[in-house]
Amino acid sequence: MTPRRPIPSLLRPGLRAHAALLAALLAATAPAARAAGPTLAVEDTMRTEVPEVLVRAPRVTLDEILDRVARGEARRDSAIRDQAFTATVRLVRHVGDPKQAPQLVSERVYRTYRKRPDKARAVLLRSWDLKPERGGAEVRVGTRADMSEEIVNFAFRPEARREYRYRIEGRDLLGERLIYRIAFEPRSNLDPAKPSGTVWVDTNDFVIVRQEVRFDRSPVPLLLRGVDRMVIERGRADGTWVLTRVLLRASATIPLPNLGRRFDMAIRFDDYAVNRGIDDAVFEGAGRAEDGR
Amino acid sequence: MSRAARDAAPGARRTPGRRAPHGARAARALATALAAAAALACAGGARAGEAPADSALLRWLGASADSTEAWFGLSAARGDTAGLDSALAHALLHPGARPRRRLPVTLAPQAGFTRVDGPTYGGLLALGRAGERGGRLEGRLAYASGPNHWLGGAAWTRTVRRGERRWTLDLWAGRRTDGMDREFADVRLAQVRALLSGSDTRRYLRREGFTATLERAAPAWRASASFRDLAESPRAVTATWNLLDRVPVVTGNLPAASARVHELAYALGVRLPRVPVTLEAHHATSGDALGSDLEYRRTRLTAGADLSLGRAASLVPQVVYGRLSGAPAPQAAFYLGGSRTLRSVEGSSLGGTGLALARVDLIGTGDLLAALRIPHPAAFPVHGALFAGAGAVWGPDPYGGRTRPGLDWPHREEWRGEYGFSLMWRPGVPDPAGFLRMSIAWPAGRVHEGARLSVTWARGLDLLRPFED
Repeated sequence: MTPRRPIPSLLRPGLRAHAALLAALLAATAPAARAAGPTLAVEDTMRTEVPEVLVRAPRVTLDEILDRVARGEARRDSAIRDQAFTATVRLVRHVGDPKQAPQLVSERVYRTYRKRPDKARAVLLRSWDLKPERGGAEVRVGTRADMSEEIVNFAFRPEARREYRYRIEGRDLLGERLIYRIAFEPRSNLDPAKPSGTVWVDTNDFVIVRQEVRFDRSPVPLLLRGVDRMVIERGRADGTWVLTRVLLRASATIPLPNLGRRFDMAIRFDDYAVNRGIDDAVFEGAGRAEDGR
Repeated sequence: MSRAARDAAPGARRTPGRRAPHGARAARALATALAAAAALACAGGARAGEAPADSALLRWLGASADSTEAWFGLSAARGDTAGLDSALAHALLHPGARPRRRLPVTLAPQAGFTRVDGPTYGGLLALGRAGERGGRLEGRLAYASGPNHWLGGAAWTRTVRRGERRWTLDLWAGRRTDGMDREFADVRLAQVRALLSGSDTRRYLRREGFTATLERAAPAWRASASFRDLAESPRAVTATWNLLDRVPVVTGNLPAASARVHELAYALGVRLPRVPVTLEAHHATSGDALGSDLEYRRTRLTAGADLSLGRAASLVPQVVYGRLSGAPAPQAAFYLGGSRTLRSVEGSSLGGTGLALARVDLIGTGDLLAALRIPHPAAFPVHGALFAGAGAVWGPDPYGGRTRPGLDWPHREEWRGEYGFSLMWRPGVPDPAGFLRMSIAWPAGRVHEGARLSVTWARGLDLLRPFED
């Protein structure tokens, strides 16, 4: 048992005076309190004791968790040989506006095929614009063969460790699964394009299953007042964790053409087929995928 | 046929939905319904297979997704899938109907203004992207109305990425006007100053020939090697006017040594692990062995750090050391003065064969106007910064002045000190980390000069080339 540290003698007279004052105040207020409110009974007949458990295993350090997340993400990536999914890209305006209902500005739907080492193809299934004659705001999904989902794990790649600070925000037990909540924030104040955020890590696979991203300052103050919220979600498909949704709401400093002052950008990924063996004929004529991460 | 089955066998022939007869549509609808039922059954099976360990997690993720969906509303809702299957089948069966990727073309007018070229009028034509097959080919042509010369050239850039690493090959051939100070060759802001008020302090030379650079870059380091074969020549001043009709700060131009320069150069940049420190080394060599008219070795070492002080400010110390040996040609010399070195010294007004510079900036991240409760548009957050620095050049003076004492290090009399503050606006474009920075600097020590105002576009770590993220 740790011995109690003696109170420095210089403080003792002061503490005694405070204690006396506090006692006097309590004594003065106690009858009034009893008279004003209900009387509280204290249960003192039920007692329980929990046996002490000595945990000898060392607690997993944050560094070890980050290493495991990096390895888990790399393992997830390497386990995917091919994948096909439907990506729906939407721009919606008048969001969060009590006077106007949200309105879809544009929607693009792609069926995307990727196969290692460098095959990729995106088939445009639908292209819809509120104002087709104006090309205005359009979002295109790039076709890359990379399946590592950098948008999910950008802050948890080994090379990103120099860029971000991390801390464990909490641990949640879901059934038999332990989920770590890890917050990250950029080490540098000089680049506001680097966001901070929170990820939820499933410790079974050490894979990120959800992410909320924040921008403390607007990355583009000239155009954007700020990013109100950004959420990145993953789900299970064919036994693999895959990106399912990227949602972002931003406020503009000036009304943007076709989008107004506040708008959403959403990308939804559905209908995954992972490691089912995509025929090379799908990629014929598509050429190699764009170089990229 | 289910989508999964079709993914596995895309060559299976199928009639597009719009052209299918009614009977076929009905059959397809039935098949789609059956496929959907099968898919649901499979999905159920998969979920059952993942239970029970996954079930609580998946339930929690589902609840989180529902909550997110409620917050985002329409944006997060599942889209209408009608017609997607038939569109996909049609696209897979008709690869010839695939929309051809258009070659990105950029065509833009360009104008400039310097003391030596006067107004220049021209244009830019660029084809392709550096990261795609074929690379980016860019051609520029401009007429310099001062000396009545055509300037321009062609550049080709190709970048190949493999994961986090990339190779970049950069080729250029042509004729252009460059700044004499090799560290800060970008003359765009100087051109604006020259045109508006004649406050451009750059010195210029003409370069004709070709350059080639090959660079290998990774997240933590980059290395490059380059060769150039350039005919370098001095330029005379042809335009001393400006829009505000002021007397130009610099009316002449430092004459470059006329020479055919063959130079090999190497550069290395490293971001140290775990600490926010970046190091850079540049070395260039030119001499008889390369068939060059100029004989020199030029080395420049730079170090900088980005130290965050909580979320309120960043402390940015930077140091530079440069050394030139051999023929002290003005176009190979080191220069001191201006917004990128010592802000209290007129731009590039001091030169030599050696350079030593140390600077520290304390850059605030908060909006000063908001802190002072001054109403302003959200697009114009203003940040403040304090800075101090000291620097010196030594060796033969390219301007023809006295040789400053010092061999590998400046004499103590040659040091110039300064301090001051800056107001900075970060628009976020074209570079999210770039600032338009207005600084007022006072000389410190023995120099008795007044404060100097400078305006520049820079990053926090402005003496180092940024790493591409």
